[in-house]
Amino acid sequence: MKTPKPGTQSTITNSIRALRHQHNEMTQQDLADRIGVSRQTVNAIEAAKYSPSLEVAFRIARVFDKAIEEVFQFHAP
Amino acid sequence: MNASFEEKSVWIQLVCVLGTFILYCLIAWTMLSHGVDTLVPFVGVFLSTVILLVILLVVGHLLAALTGRIEKPDERDRLIVWRSESNSAWMLVVGIFAAITAMLFSLSNVWIAHILILSLYLSQTMQYLFQIRYYRRGV
Repeated sequence: MKTPKPGTQSTITNSIRALRHQHNEMTQQDLADRIGVSRQTVNAIEAAKYSPSLEVAFRIARVFDKAIEEVFQFHAP
Repeated sequence: MNASFEEKSVWIQLVCVLGTFILYCLIAWTMLSHGVDTLVPFVGVFLSTVILLVILLVVGHLLAALTGRIEKPDERDRLIVWRSESNSAWMLVVGIFAAITAMLFSLSNVWIAHILILSLYLSQTMQYLFQIRYYRRGV
């Protein structure tokens, strides 16, 4: 899991990388195919370079059979 | 290159647009320096560079498709396009106002047309650069 950067901005982190490893080393491509985005978009989400839409966030949570807040964490300043 | 098909497409468009624009500028500058001051001779040159641009884009995208996986644009691609267009559209507006100003000062049609072409190319190039920045550094 990524730790939030120090500063005044709110950040959204996620546990996707850890969850993929817990699910039989699921690849980024496998996850991308299941949620309907490109592998590069999954990579950008994992690296916190892109915050997905609510719909994609729910799809990711559904793939891992988790609640959305177990996958994504919001950190207020 | 660890890039999606959409990002590769942006790189191809950037290189092709810049290449054909530089070619057009070289030819247009030579014509202007030889005293061509009517618009009609430039139309053929412009259309030729547009046709060349289309051919290069088709070849570039074919190569990208043959060497990698083709994927439909997803929500991140659409957001990047939207933000990049939003950030670069002002350049076209500046060009239009510059062309109107040039009309007020009775500049020749050749210069007014080239102000518009320049702003169109700059706006498009700026959009591609923003897209690449968002793909590389995040959006």
